Amino acid sequence: MNSLWRIVLLSLLCSIPALDLGWRFYHFDLGANPVETLQHTTGDWALYFLLATLSITPINNLLRPRWSNFLAMHLTRRVLGLSAFCYAVLHLLAYWFFDLELSLPLLVEDVLERPFILMGMLALILLIPLAMTSTAAWQRRLRQRWQSLHKLVYPITLLAIIHYVMLVKADLFQPLLMLLIFSVLMLLRNKSLLKNLSQR
Amino acid sequence: WALQFTRNNQYSANLALTDPEHALKYNNFYELGTDKSDPYRYADRLKTDGWTVEVTGECLKPQTFNMDDLYQFTQEERIYRFRCVEGWSMVVPWIGFPLAKLLKQVEPTSKAKYVEFVSIYDPKNLPGQEYRVLDWPYREGLRMDEAMHPLTLMATGIYGKELPNQNGAPIRLVVPWKYGFKSSKSIVQIRLVEKQPTSSWMAATPSEYGFYSNVNPNVAHPRWSQAKERPLGSFFRKPTLIFNGYADQVAQLYTGMDLKKYF
Repeated sequence: MNSLWRIVLLSLLCSIPALDLGWRFYHFDLGANPVETLQHTTGDWALYFLLATLSITPINNLLRPRWSNFLAMHLTRRVLGLSAFCYAVLHLLAYWFFDLELSLPLLVEDVLERPFILMGMLALILLIPLAMTSTAAWQRRLRQRWQSLHKLVYPITLLAIIHYVMLVKADLFQPLLMLLIFSVLMLLRNKSLLKNLSQR
Repeated sequence: WALQFTRNNQYSANLALTDPEHALKYNNFYELGTDKSDPYRYADRLKTDGWTVEVTGECLKPQTFNMDDLYQFTQEERIYRFRCVEGWSMVVPWIGFPLAKLLKQVEPTSKAKYVEFVSIYDPKNLPGQEYRVLDWPYREGLRMDEAMHPLTLMATGIYGKELPNQNGAPIRLVVPWKYGFKSSKSIVQIRLVEKQPTSSWMAATPSEYGFYSNVNPNVAHPRWSQAKERPLGSFFRKPTLIFNGYADQVAQLYTGMDLKKYF
């Protein structure tokens, strides 16, 4: 299968949650608090895709290079990362449109007054340069700097998790689970730790 | 139990009712789980057989009421606005009787300055009580004059039927001018006390949840604005009313009080 088809197929898979929301929106089937459903679902998926993006390197390191090439993990990561960005944009729109009716002054006020919104907004803003430079052409053009730029995904994911922790009223189970997964994925980037793991 | 009740129009808001599908399936009842869909999903885990409500503390005639005793009070239907601290709202027809009628029966003494409400504690059955998300059992409180106010209702039914478990069966409190969490569900004990009680939410996050918790669009929650609310089933928000639209009846309870300080 050539890379274009891989990308199309994977993109379709990644858009299933959004298509499902669109379908339920159209059929008025988003529950008692439809806007909350839109906001929470898009936010959840943005975070899931960020964590999925971060899992590619550890998986790559554990697989033999041949398998990694065969599965085109770098393409997979690009689609996952762009999906995270798309869901984050949908998340912002669901909030900005339904809560603030697209008012820019109200958005600025919210960002300045509510720390959890500031965290989420920072995460989304930092994602923009990564989404823009996700193509192979940009990767070539930026060379070494591309690597360092895209390491921004670590603080972005952490900001997104803090955003989640800060908005929860009492039950921190879900956001702390995300934090745990994030920590494990970060630890699995440690080369010597990985060596020990694979030698067993 | 055949539900017998009459509509009380004096205390009913002339508003369109929330779709019961929403009010009965989207609930905050952490004893059954923290997700809004948990209370409906796990409703049968709440055991209400042989339910009693013990009224005790600073009173001359402490008494334990079973549900038959409580159904002896004239049951009336009232359409109330209901505003959750999270920013959603609904309009619900409750059935019940004023808390004042119950309290008068036990003859509170002059030391009874506050009323504390204790909800069910049954960690063997209630999935939410396996975790200490809150300090169980759920506790709430009112000042005596708030408790005796004619709007303060002990609810036994909703939408013409007995309360379903997810809405706080078999008996709950409804205080329409306060945020929803003040309206304790599945109450087992009512204590008349001298000192202001500490509610479960005050204990959990003192900077965010105060004793009064009156609906107030001008006092923001530390993390979000309270100026607007989203009626269940709607996409857009509408302005929140001070005291949830009950200012004419209750504002005098708080004259001279700084509502920002006593949030």
